[in-house]
Amino acid sequence: MNGALLVCKKEFLELSKDRRTVFFTFLLPLVLYPLLFAMVGGLSRTDEANRQGRASRVVLVDPGGVLTSALKAEPESFELVAPPAGDLRQAIRDQRLEMKIQVEADAPLKLSRHRTFTVTAACDPSEEASGLALTRLRKILEKQNRRWVEERLRLAGVSPELDRPSRLETQEMGDLGLKVGRTLGAFLPYLLMLMMFAGSMQHGIYATAGEKERGTLLSLLSTRLPRHQIIWGKLLYVFAVGLLSAFINLLSMGVSIGSVVRAGAEGQAMSAGSLADLARPSTLGLTFLLMAPLGLLFANFIVMMGIRARNSVEAGTSIMPGMVVVLVMAVFSMAPGLEKLAFLPYVPILNVSLAIRKLFSQQGNAFEFWVALLMTLGLAAVMTWLSTRLLNRETSVFTV
Amino acid sequence: MIELAEVYKGFTVRDRKTRQKKRIEAVRGVSFSVHPGEIYGLLGPNGAGKSTTLRLIAGLMQAERGLIRVGGFDAGREPEAARACVGYLSGDLNVYGRFTPREFLRLFGQFQGMQARVAEGRALALLERLGLLDFMDVRMEGFSTGQKQKVSVARALLHDPRVVVFDEPTTGLDVLTAKTVLDLLRELRAEGRAVIVSTHVMPMVEDICDRVGILFDGVLYGDAPLDQLLAARHARNLDEVFFQLAGEA
Ligand SMILES: Nc1ncnc2c1ncn2[C@@H]1O[C@H](COP(=O)(O)OP(=O)(O)O)[C@@H](O)[C@H]1O
Ligand SMILES: [Mg+2]
Repeated sequence: MNGALLVCKKEFLELSKDRRTVFFTFLLPLVLYPLLFAMVGGLSRTDEANRQGRASRVVLVDPGGVLTSALKAEPESFELVAPPAGDLRQAIRDQRLEMKIQVEADAPLKLSRHRTFTVTAACDPSEEASGLALTRLRKILEKQNRRWVEERLRLAGVSPELDRPSRLETQEMGDLGLKVGRTLGAFLPYLLMLMMFAGSMQHGIYATAGEKERGTLLSLLSTRLPRHQIIWGKLLYVFAVGLLSAFINLLSMGVSIGSVVRAGAEGQAMSAGSLADLARPSTLGLTFLLMAPLGLLFANFIVMMGIRARNSVEAGTSIMPGMVVVLVMAVFSMAPGLEKLAFLPYVPILNVSLAIRKLFSQQGNAFEFWVALLMTLGLAAVMTWLSTRLLNRETSVFTV
Repeated sequence: MIELAEVYKGFTVRDRKTRQKKRIEAVRGVSFSVHPGEIYGLLGPNGAGKSTTLRLIAGLMQAERGLIRVGGFDAGREPEAARACVGYLSGDLNVYGRFTPREFLRLFGQFQGMQARVAEGRALALLERLGLLDFMDVRMEGFSTGQKQKVSVARALLHDPRVVVFDEPTTGLDVLTAKTVLDLLRELRAEGRAVIVSTHVMPMVEDICDRVGILFDGVLYGDAPLDQLLAARHARNLDEVFFQLAGEA
């Protein structure tokens, strides 16, 4: 066993000498997620700011003064400006103002006689800001109408709710955090798996087929270390690299989600509570627990293919299908409603992603979690036994 | 120190075109021995089975039949113990490019069960002897073939092996580096180690080998000092012997 640790140490030493590889394997994920989340967050924030915009600049002509006070009461929506010097159409086009509102001169009279008066809005709905002004006007007019109707009903001595037999009230049960969690949960497991696989693949090839190719394997085999310990050492190394990159990815993911949650707590966009659950140590810890045996499975596959290959290219082409399988499963698993298939918790690899997905959307199912964990663990154990048996043959090491 | 008795080793390869399996008999009934304080030269053209024979001695491969004893151990039954007393140099002329000689040798010393400090001290002495001390802390990527081979030689001798197995140690080296290696081999002989080297070129054999065996197509011809061997075949040099054997085959 000591020999295996020594070989593993050698691989890590060799890895540490290659700064660029270290950067791309371990440091890139560290900045990748914060960048990703910051970008998404930033996008939604600017979008939000654009949509809300500032107050709409309107010219209000209201001789009877029926709407003036209502508009003035909402300064965040309306800014009353003086009529433009030149052509109104041109002024709107030049974005000097958004809308002109003209209220009929005898509006107060019509209002008192219970007749309809007219409000004319001159705007350009193709201009986004102008369209927004119109929407705001509609809203405020509706509110004002409601008030007038209630006033009239009260004057007539009937219930102000006479014209409103019923009212719909919706209660939002889902929350944004949960929704984000579900979306993230659908692809983050696969992102994690892919990062783990890709992370250990390159190093696995370098340490196996690469050694053959570079002609250093024989010197390693000629030491007193038993061959199986060398294989274990390589396996341990590939496994450790995979785990490390999974860990770093998870950590980076957790930290970035955490910071989004904190930023969201200040703003109104994110309901922080349930999104924060994603960044909870227990969610990340359970996810990591599931990733570990999967990593061993991957490592076995990579080392098995790598040692039997004659060179790096051959190793790459034989390991790639494994990655493709994971990718295909990713596409397959993102299909909506898939989690309802009864046999899914028993499909290896897929069940791991399913379990992680449920962890992320807070639908964690202890039974499915254990099935996935134990199944992967068993599979990894069988694979380890198989690969060490297979590789501990002279013909696997000496391929020509 | 090294003893081979009726050793056989073959490989099964698959023909990529016809997809049929083919047997290659690389070593066929080879027997010889190398004693302490002796340099044995294993001669033969490419593909004769020299590397295979040396790999069998170094415990990297297992013989299919026959007996190999190295340093008193049965290489088939106790390959690790046998390997521990062998200093093996493969013909690959390659090292771990990302390491410096110091790091590389310290690590391999540990593989051989040595303390890192002890290994480093011994590495220092070997590299000084080989004239590579100035490059002790330089990454080996940019090393010349000669420099790489010197580091490999140091690696092979690091654990003070009683048996030295060098596969074509001078092939590809310039005369100066080759001389350094040959001089070192003489010293190893003087220290009482059993040395076996393989080659397909004459000069090295004439210079240092006490006895030689000619391997051709997996079969060993002769086991005597070079001049006796040449005289017996009425040949002036090694090439003529190879041509004769090729004609007989
Ligand atoms: N691992 C292997 N698998 C299949 N064939 C091999 C292997 N190693 C050597 N051979 C074959 O055995 C024969 C002897 O090879 P080798 O011992 O390398 O010769 P030499 O070192 O004398 O040039 C060659 O025909 C070679 O192709
Ligand atoms: Mg050879």
